[in-house]
Amino acid sequence: MINLASRDVLHGWGKFLFTGVGLGLLIGATLTMGGVFRGMVDDGQVLIDNSGADLWVVQQGTLGPYAEPSSLRDDVWRGIAGIAGVAETGNAAYLTIQMAHNGKDTRVMIVGIEVDRPNRPGAPPYLIAGRPILQGHYEAIADERAGLKLGERVTIRRHDYTVVGLTRRMVSSSGDPMIFVPLKDAQEIQFLKDNDALLNERARTAANPAFNRPGVPGLLEAAQASATQARSVNTVLVRLTPGADPATVANEIQRWKRFTAYTKAQMEDILIAKLIATSAKQIGMFLVILAIVTAAIVAFIIYTMTLAKVREIAVLKLIGAKNRIIAGMILQQALALGVIGFLVGRIAAGLWGPAFPKYVLLLPGDAVAGFAIVLTICALASSVAIRAALAIDPAEAIGG
Amino acid sequence: MDRVDKVPAIKLTGLKKRYGSGDAAVDALKGVDMTIWPGEVVGLVGPSGSGKSTLLKCLGAVIEPTGGRMELAGDVIYEDGWKIPDLRALRRDRIGFVFQAPYLIPFLNVTDNVALLPMLAGIDNKAARQRALELLTALDVQHRAGAQVSQLSGGEQQRVAIARSLANHAPIILADEPTAPLDSERALTVMHILNELAREYQTAIIVVTHDEKIIPTFKRIYHIRDGKTHEETGEGRPI
Repeated sequence: MINLASRDVLHGWGKFLFTGVGLGLLIGATLTMGGVFRGMVDDGQVLIDNSGADLWVVQQGTLGPYAEPSSLRDDVWRGIAGIAGVAETGNAAYLTIQMAHNGKDTRVMIVGIEVDRPNRPGAPPYLIAGRPILQGHYEAIADERAGLKLGERVTIRRHDYTVVGLTRRMVSSSGDPMIFVPLKDAQEIQFLKDNDALLNERARTAANPAFNRPGVPGLLEAAQASATQARSVNTVLVRLTPGADPATVANEIQRWKRFTAYTKAQMEDILIAKLIATSAKQIGMFLVILAIVTAAIVAFIIYTMTLAKVREIAVLKLIGAKNRIIAGMILQQALALGVIGFLVGRIAAGLWGPAFPKYVLLLPGDAVAGFAIVLTICALASSVAIRAALAIDPAEAIGG
Repeated sequence: MDRVDKVPAIKLTGLKKRYGSGDAAVDALKGVDMTIWPGEVVGLVGPSGSGKSTLLKCLGAVIEPTGGRMELAGDVIYEDGWKIPDLRALRRDRIGFVFQAPYLIPFLNVTDNVALLPMLAGIDNKAARQRALELLTALDVQHRAGAQVSQLSGGEQQRVAIARSLANHAPIILADEPTAPLDSERALTVMHILNELAREYQTAIIVVTHDEKIIPTFKRIYHIRDGKTHEETGEGRPI
């Protein structure tokens, strides 16, 4: 038996292909939206993985350091390091800022890390160029997406930093590239007030009679000195000894040190389930709408193509073609359109994905699922045209 | 023509068709009697609205009559309802159609347009295409066998349509104004072909027509007026 669907497609292949390409661009947009969501999840995941921590110790009752502000004294690590199961600790400070570079603003996450020895929790696990930070001040390692070059000097707040290393896929949960700097610098960037504010604060303190008591010499100087010290961090990253149970150690820290400690699983839950939940729902809604629009467009295309063949279908029915032959022809054409559309869409998403400002992750599993969904949508959409075709009266082929 | 031992290809007895019901009912056929023998080419003429198309649709098992009896080659097809469960198979295997316009399938080439019918009947592709080529040769369009429909002239398309109607050895062909779009010469050629085919394959052919120039080619003509047929004797009518 002749394959009527393929003959019809080959007869008007240019029109069919053009329609498939148009549909493909829509499918490409849908796949890209899925990729944006996957990219957001992956950004959160790499943030957790790249920190090299098993536990995050944060200010009590907060979801810090990524989802909520958290402030700890920078010496609390001493008490934590003594708890059984803790192998290593690392203070870390995180701050997202707008950095001016080459005449344009770039949003980056400043990460303060301890640089006294390599591979402290919080430090970038690998570099693609350059070296680790060796000095206690004014050196930086930048993610390549920050647009900085090795040896380049960049101004962050009050100071200039030299880029000594470059790394890759070190981003915040929002996808902003990270710039690693020594912890002391990050503490200043985050907690130290500007000079005008300091002068103002000193004047206010000096005017306060409580700090100028005659019987307590040096009180005012001590109070003013404390205003210029930045001794806080956002979290203490904890690496556990092999075999230590993260939940048990976290409980110990919470019980004895009065902090909140999160395990990796809990931090994933905070970042992925809570922090990007609204964005995920937003994208999910968009995906549903795009799927409905795709289905409507496929249905419309197939319906229009079918109506253009009313006379041929009437003749086919008149000369004895069974319903399944006619339905099969329409279904096969809808599926062929879906296959062309998906291929074009996947290629388009792969081409324009890297141009997006945020990470677009196109997973093979999502592509397979997307392909199945596209074919299902096409099959369902063709049902409208099949119903119309089966309703065509063979008498239409006969005049009168 | 000796008809004593023959079974009529078509026999209609009091065939009726009513559209609608109640006050809006219209009787398109009011009891049509008609007998057509194998190998005959019979004309069916009448003014617009007389019931020609309705009769053709009833004969083609496309619409259901509302009364009377219809026999095809001795089998009762209709009497108080259809007597054949699969009307599509009936149309495919026993009735050929030729339309005013050829209505060929534009996305199939000439051979496949003709071969499609036997393929739908379950004949394998090779045999179906062989049968198609035989018919195209008989109709003198074998040289266009591989052409697309759009590359054919109107006359060639009509010949291919006739070949398609014969592709399943249908004993009956219903032709709805097959010469309407053709000039006199081509119209007469088509009628000559139909007469030849009727004689060669013993096919009964009913030709619905308004075309005065082909009227003389019929031996018998049924006039249909107000839903009833009146046979015009044509034994002496020239072919």
